[in-house]
Amino acid sequence: MLFHTPQFFLFLIATLALFYVSPKRLGKYVLLAASYFFYATWNYKFLALLIALTAIDYTAGLWLERIPPGRRRKLVLILSLAANLSFLGFFKYFNFLAANLALIAGRSGALRLDVILPLGISFHTFQSMSYVIDVYRGEQQAVRNPLDYALFICFFPQLVAGPIVRARDFFRDLWKWQRPSSGDVLHGLLLLVLGLTKKMAFADQFAAVANGYFANVTGNPGMLTAWSGVIAFGLQIYFDFSGYTDMAIGMAKLLGFHFPINFRRPYLAGTVTEFWRRWHISLSTWLRDYLYIPLGGNRGGRWLTYRNLMITMLLGGLWHGASWNFVVWGGYQGALLSAERALGIRRGYPFTVVTTFALQMIGWVFFRSADMGQSMAVLRQMFAPQLGHNLFTPWQIGLALIALAAAVGEEYLEWFERIARRPALAFASAICGMLFLIEIFGVLDQAIPFIYFQF
Amino acid sequence: MPRTRRIVAACFLSVVLWFGVDALLFRTNLYPSILEPDSTAGEYELVLMREREFFKRHSHEKIVTTLGNSQFAYLPRLANELTSQTGYVFRHAGVAGTNPRTWFYMMRDLDPTADRYEALVIGLSSFDDEDGPANPADGWYDLHYAIVRLRLADTLDFARSYEDSHLRWVALRGGIFKGFVLQRDIQEFLSAPAERIRKVRADRRGYEYWTYTFQESERSMSGFQIDWQTGRYTPSPDADQEQKDSVQSVLYRRGFPQSGKLGAFYRVWLGRLLDRYRGSRTKIIFVRLPRGPVPAPDGMIRARSAVVREFAQRPNVMLCPERRFDELERPELFKDAIHLNRAGIARFSPMLAEQIAGMLGGSTGN
Repeated sequence: MLFHTPQFFLFLIATLALFYVSPKRLGKYVLLAASYFFYATWNYKFLALLIALTAIDYTAGLWLERIPPGRRRKLVLILSLAANLSFLGFFKYFNFLAANLALIAGRSGALRLDVILPLGISFHTFQSMSYVIDVYRGEQQAVRNPLDYALFICFFPQLVAGPIVRARDFFRDLWKWQRPSSGDVLHGLLLLVLGLTKKMAFADQFAAVANGYFANVTGNPGMLTAWSGVIAFGLQIYFDFSGYTDMAIGMAKLLGFHFPINFRRPYLAGTVTEFWRRWHISLSTWLRDYLYIPLGGNRGGRWLTYRNLMITMLLGGLWHGASWNFVVWGGYQGALLSAERALGIRRGYPFTVVTTFALQMIGWVFFRSADMGQSMAVLRQMFAPQLGHNLFTPWQIGLALIALAAAVGEEYLEWFERIARRPALAFASAICGMLFLIEIFGVLDQAIPFIYFQF
Repeated sequence: MPRTRRIVAACFLSVVLWFGVDALLFRTNLYPSILEPDSTAGEYELVLMREREFFKRHSHEKIVTTLGNSQFAYLPRLANELTSQTGYVFRHAGVAGTNPRTWFYMMRDLDPTADRYEALVIGLSSFDDEDGPANPADGWYDLHYAIVRLRLADTLDFARSYEDSHLRWVALRGGIFKGFVLQRDIQEFLSAPAERIRKVRADRRGYEYWTYTFQESERSMSGFQIDWQTGRYTPSPDADQEQKDSVQSVLYRRGFPQSGKLGAFYRVWLGRLLDRYRGSRTKIIFVRLPRGPVPAPDGMIRARSAVVREFAQRPNVMLCPERRFDELERPELFKDAIHLNRAGIARFSPMLAEQIAGMLGGSTGN
């Protein structure tokens, strides 16, 4: 059940209706049942896995709170993390590891398991791990009610592709739940429609250009062709992923939950460091808080900082998928961050914005390509002397310009944030504009999955 | 409660505004006037515009209009060469690929009072409702042909006329917000707006002349043979791929289980068309068109109903003798497996004019 299908909207309306007509104390159980139903519509067989992971970390949280600091406590933490990472590793990385080990051993055939990746495993595993670590650190009370904890893990708006929500934020909203204000509801609706517009009218349109290019790289030679294919993917992934999270945040608002912002106009970033403060913020902060800082952050001097950046970004890359392309993409981001620190590059409009955008587009080549061979072929074309042709239609360029204007407007005027508080006509005009964009440019009846569903 | 009222008001206003923008563009002539002339909706609208304008200039004449799809291959120009004898002016409101559902909406706007024409001649490939592979109720392209003509009040009814639930949803959505249906046309327009406008202007200026003076291809199926029992055929010696494909397509359509879906579809949509003309001076005449270079023998027809034969019981409905045009069903008069060629049209057009005039009480038909 994809977020941009009529079936999902029926599900959402039914859930909202049930949630609000139920007595307040039962509301969370309605959400839990709806979330498990949502998960089961994708593949009910993995419900057991989801419940097992939930049970492990719920129990670990309770234990950690009872055991005094010391080796036993650390052991419980390690066991919990190991359980989480084993599930993730088995489903996501087994084939990758087996193939590479076979390559190292010089064997031709590697053991290959025919498993499908459980929906949202990378996201809910990280969310669950952060809870256990927070309890271990004493920053979070262990949750007593197992169903509360289960809802934290499987809450349907963010179950599949985030944002990765911290336990303290989620339980604050759950335990002190308040009926959302009209401003929150309208803001939620606005985000829901914005996300839908980003996905259907922008991401899926640019997807057609990017898919066309990457399906036949050698048949589309030339610098302009390669850049337009890669930029199309850069736009697709931004609109796709940020569209999804806008919808998730919007739905949560409708239900009285406040999720953290996940994207803040990343392509307006003036440096790569700033880009990572604007792109997939919930993952970046997770990696910062649970990996980069524990590794030592920037406290150990220049070279250790570079090392920590590289490790963090390499693992961040690998988190996206089991492929050398993602590792290289992560390494590339780590190298850029380190180089930026080493050279002391500061944000300076507009030159560094354009440079950062171009550098990120080069990074997306590794992210999107089927393998390293294709990545190299695309990169060669991006810097080839042959010009080629532009793959965008004029109206697609128009769409990109509309998005750029909206992003710049939001960056300086925060107009979008204010619309929900403005008179109904302003709100209605914004909604109308977005729905009209879907009507004219939305890719309909194809239900193209969100890119991050595969992670 | 005031909180809920604010939310409901804002949501309601959003939908009203959205509908207003859509209506302003697509329910007025603003966007329909620049539809791609070669698109389904564009061609349908051009035919409608051409026939409306003709009627405005010639409303004093006795006009017979014909309806059908591409198989109704006759030329009004050739039929009108006999006007001095028949007394009737022939016009064609048919569009390739259309069916009774789209004809209904065409005639509703072309003839709002249901009395403009002396006769409405409907061409069908058979008077028997023989089902083919597709369910005619689920022709998604009907929505595209008739989109500009659909009124808000039609939406539910039109959507319900589809049997497939997804198509029902698509038709419902498109019936309310027409931009969903026209989005490809709009995107193409935005890619080259000046070029589109030039093309539309040129097509509108020349459409009457081009279509009236149209010359069909001289290509023929001479030498074509088919054994309907075995389904084996011998193409004409110089047959091209298009001709062979058309034969394959006709052969493919045969032998499907008879579910009665075509009959049900005809009953609804031809029924509605006829209901509009109930009590009107306009006669409705059904014509069995020349079917093909070597049509299937009658014994092979496995239809469960023949709706038009039932309709013929109505006072202003007539059936043209079923075998009237059988003599045209010869390979040399067809350009492919279902369409007459230039020679075929040259013979069919005057025959049709004489026949219709005879049935209407002008000149005598055979």
